[in-house]
Amino acid sequence: MELITTVLSKAGAKKSTVKWKFKMTPMRWVFTGIAAAAIAVILVRFVLGLGATTNLNDQWPWGLWISFDVLLGVALAGGGYGTALIVYVLRRDKFYPIARSAMLTSLLGYIVVVLGLLIEVGQWFNFWRPYVSWGHASVLFEVFWCISCYTVIQILEFCEVGTEKVFKGAHKYLKKAMPVMLIIGITLPTLHQSSLGQLFYLMVGKVNPLWWTAFLPVFFLLSSFFVGAGMIVIESTLAGKALNHKVEIPVLRGLVKISAGAMILYLMLKITDMVVRGTFANAFAFDLPSIMFLSELTFGVIIPVIIAFSSLSSTRKGLIWFGILTVSGVVMNRFDVLFTGMGKYLNQYGGSYVPAVSEFIVSLGLVSIACLAYLFLAENFNILGSHGSEHADDIEIKDGKYASTAK
Amino acid sequence: MAKGVLVDIPKCIGCESCSVACKLWNELEWDEQEKCKTAADRAKEPNNGLWPEEWTSINRFDLEKDGESVARYVKAQCMHCEDPACVSSCFSKAFQKLPEGPVIYDQSLCVGCRYCMMACPFDILRYEWKKAIPGVRKCQMCATRVANNQETACTSVCPTGAITFGDREELLAEAKKRIKEHGYVDRVFGEKEAGGTSWLYISDTPFEQMRFRTDVTTKPLPSYTEGYMKATPFVGVGWAAILAGLYVYNNKGKEPLD
Amino acid sequence: MASKAGQVKNLSRRSFLKFVGGTAGLVGISLNLTGCGDPATADEAIGGNGWMPTQYNAPGNWPTSVRGRVPIDPENPAIVRDDQKCILCGQCIEVCERIQSVFGNYELPIKKEFVCVNCGQCIQWCPSGAISERDDVNKVFKALADPNVTVVVQTAPATRIGLGEEFGMPVGTNVQGKQVAALRKLGFDVVFDTNFTADLTIMEEGTELVKRVTGELHHPIPQMTSCCPGWVKFVEYFYPELIPNLSSAKSPQQMEGALIKTYFAEKKEVDPKKIFSVSIMPCTAKKFECQRPEMNSASKELNDSNVSPDVDVVLTTRELARMIKRAGIDFASLPEEEYDKLMGTGTGAGVIFGTTGGVMEAAVRSAYFLITGQQPPAALWNLTPVRGMQGVKEAAVNIPGVGDVKVAVISGLANARKVMDQMKAGNAPWAFMEIMACPGGCEYGGGQPRASSPPSDEDRNRRAASLYNIDAKSKLRNSHDNPEIKQIYADFLTAPMSEKAEELLHTHYVSRADDFIPKKSEENKLF
Repeated sequence: MELITTVLSKAGAKKSTVKWKFKMTPMRWVFTGIAAAAIAVILVRFVLGLGATTNLNDQWPWGLWISFDVLLGVALAGGGYGTALIVYVLRRDKFYPIARSAMLTSLLGYIVVVLGLLIEVGQWFNFWRPYVSWGHASVLFEVFWCISCYTVIQILEFCEVGTEKVFKGAHKYLKKAMPVMLIIGITLPTLHQSSLGQLFYLMVGKVNPLWWTAFLPVFFLLSSFFVGAGMIVIESTLAGKALNHKVEIPVLRGLVKISAGAMILYLMLKITDMVVRGTFANAFAFDLPSIMFLSELTFGVIIPVIIAFSSLSSTRKGLIWFGILTVSGVVMNRFDVLFTGMGKYLNQYGGSYVPAVSEFIVSLGLVSIACLAYLFLAENFNILGSHGSEHADDIEIKDGKYASTAK
Repeated sequence: MAKGVLVDIPKCIGCESCSVACKLWNELEWDEQEKCKTAADRAKEPNNGLWPEEWTSINRFDLEKDGESVARYVKAQCMHCEDPACVSSCFSKAFQKLPEGPVIYDQSLCVGCRYCMMACPFDILRYEWKKAIPGVRKCQMCATRVANNQETACTSVCPTGAITFGDREELLAEAKKRIKEHGYVDRVFGEKEAGGTSWLYISDTPFEQMRFRTDVTTKPLPSYTEGYMKATPFVGVGWAAILAGLYVYNNKGKEPLD
Repeated sequence: MASKAGQVKNLSRRSFLKFVGGTAGLVGISLNLTGCGDPATADEAIGGNGWMPTQYNAPGNWPTSVRGRVPIDPENPAIVRDDQKCILCGQCIEVCERIQSVFGNYELPIKKEFVCVNCGQCIQWCPSGAISERDDVNKVFKALADPNVTVVVQTAPATRIGLGEEFGMPVGTNVQGKQVAALRKLGFDVVFDTNFTADLTIMEEGTELVKRVTGELHHPIPQMTSCCPGWVKFVEYFYPELIPNLSSAKSPQQMEGALIKTYFAEKKEVDPKKIFSVSIMPCTAKKFECQRPEMNSASKELNDSNVSPDVDVVLTTRELARMIKRAGIDFASLPEEEYDKLMGTGTGAGVIFGTTGGVMEAAVRSAYFLITGQQPPAALWNLTPVRGMQGVKEAAVNIPGVGDVKVAVISGLANARKVMDQMKAGNAPWAFMEIMACPGGCEYGGGQPRASSPPSDEDRNRRAASLYNIDAKSKLRNSHDNPEIKQIYADFLTAPMSEKAEELLHTHYVSRADDFIPKKSEENKLF
């Protein structure tokens, strides 16, 4: 599919044309299908309400959407700020090739989060209330401000990329503003990533002690940081396949090692926390929470650390495993805090919650929309391409049909 | 002076005048199915028989006392905490604690995130899941009546004096007096729970057998996040300053990345 | 109320009543014109004689001095409440506590169940129709539809002077014949009259009384009537020590029920297992009475556990009216029909069971006969001291050979409570006492049609007058003269208080004192 837009420059006479391309592949059709189904469900939700489209109830006011779209989406999208920190602030230039794609993923992640939130909240048209009616004692107030501001910052950051192609006049101003945007763009997510954890600290006595701790914000922050590398590995692998573009192994390995360093810190803090609060017995009770807790740590943290610091991380396979395990570990952690952590309390008088099919459709649909947007942007803007990455011509073309899209 | 209500559980005969008064005063809707439920049915329900159009309900618990089986009726509604978690958890200030005692909610400010429901230590908030434009619903402790020097609708109709409206401090003293007089369980539920609540309960049967959350913290819930929220601006500014410093330092003499 | 947008807004009872009560002008006047009663004045007490509870006449947006309501157990066999209709006016509390002295006459906490004598006076006083009888109409329709079942019905003395009001007839209209016709039209196979067993009760209870007086039976005097299930339950709750004073005779309803499944079944050769016994009563407590475990004499007598309780279903007068309306029967144009024979003949003495003092009057007539062997003098056919709506009435009847027999007639349980306390104190000069739970007796029982205005002695007197009129016009005015009574003793029961009569027509009572904590102080105040 190709689209040519013609933009009239302000001189009036001269026309410049921009080419947009987007090639539909079977996978992309699947994404489109899921996205369409999700949009249908979302329409129903807006007409008939949350009760008609979700299994949420008074015992479980938060469910799949909030945990998947918000806690998880934000965490997974959080890789962007980590990369920005490493590349732009700390100037580890070797990671520059992945910076733009990591930040694009993050942007799309946040847009999905914002969309998900608008669907999730009851009175979506009131989303702006906290800007004027300040519930400043609420942790959510901070999360709200940070997420919304950070999303704007990210859009501006992306505009810096976008104006390379369209509305070129604005590019130089955006470029000048970049340092400020980067600093704010790192500060905000670090604040709200930790706050997402602090949200649960208010639910005193409701969350299983394995997860409920004063360290919740630190754990959420650290895990959102280390999941970034995992996400970048997975994303670059998928994009590599789809867009025929691969990131060099040493770049990814370096990133993975930084991430594993954060994991070690995370693990040490977890153990300290357990010692201080005396929850070892809970951790090894081998009931459902204990099993979930242990596997979350083993598969999501310990094994990835081993991979990162062994020769395994010098192979693409090892890196992919690192990515899969890390991401699943954080997914599991976020679900555990809400579902496993609060299940016993919220179900004590017969409450129950199993997400409805429609809830899954919407969550998957939002991801699909993000994937499609990513693919479109990556194909049409300079996201993956310019510096130090292996070009399509350098590596063997495995699947002919993807080749045509490479730049 | 902050108002409160004292619930003397053994004095309740289960006539449910209070819940009907609540319906009438607040013009809450009836539901055929809910209407047929008995107090015993409600006690077994996950939601205590509270739903968006039912802000207070009577629950019947069949218990053993001194080898005899007895029935006790417990009124459920918002406890109106002294320092409420819902107020502190609301990021758009849709909740408010009035100086007279009631904790009230304003739907026009509500975004609908339901963090309040997760935060409520007594799980009393209900959401209008069936509505396209839903709000949170709960007992408002007849705030307009209380502000007008009237008592709450429910207490005004109690035929046995099981629920008494008054100054919280006086009720607390009265509760302790009654505990001594009648040999009740030595605990005023609501005196310290969740940092203290406007509604106080006394009973001659163990609270934990009547779905009271007896293990609830005695610290006000907002105190758990207060320090964090106060520190946040400073941490944010400090962190941004560190980042700026690092940025300047690390980019010195280097070509900026584009 | 339809708004401009065409949406119907629900009007709550409270707002309606405030609207009506608060707007003294046109609305009030038009309501008066349409007969909806005067808005009560402020000095009339709650439960005054206005149609509208006084709370709704005060300015402001919430009724003043609302008093809540009585507790009603969801398991209550007789009385149910629709919360949606309740306006919390407190009239039920008023009648339950002050007139029936039940509510508030126990200590808190309650133990397991609510103390309730099932009298149903709260139904009569409820201004919004929130409280009503437990509707058993469908059970009866189901039995009527079953061709294998013989549905036998009995009608209480007082229903015949109440039912007509449900069809727009003046208060107290006697519709005995139309009632029988309507029941036949509804499909009841056999229509009996409880007046018959009222006469039988007189024979049994009278014999028992004579035996008590002569010392043949070692039971205390005064003997108290046991026809009223609300009263019986009241004694069981609050005065278990006076249970021996209660006559062991069953109520007429239960006697008829037991006999339907034994005597009638035997005579007409019907399988007792296939008899469905219905009674039409002016009473809600009868619904409780028929479910008492003792009330399955037929099953015991026949030694067959498959025989259902003596009375399967009790319908109130209002429920019968509902059945007639549902079946689309034009009640007013029905012909007058006669009850079925065997247990369908009653005397004037039987019919006045329906009002306060009636049982006493009937008993005195037959006691005179039982003691003297002679027909009572005409003065006993109009025993004015026991007539009327006074709560406590006393009389002394001179019976030759015995002298002055002192009797007492009480209606309304608060009145009964006072007299019982007096009795407990040793001050009981009477030989026989008639006590009815409802003020005025069965004619204004909890199951009778609701009048357009709250219960009043005016209506009670009109209904009572109608019953006395039936009595006055009766050919037979003494229970012992009833030919079917003579026949049943000859053919089936042999004699009053014979072994068979004891088994089928007499019962025993249980103390319910353990169901609640008794009131500590004698002071009759609310908790």
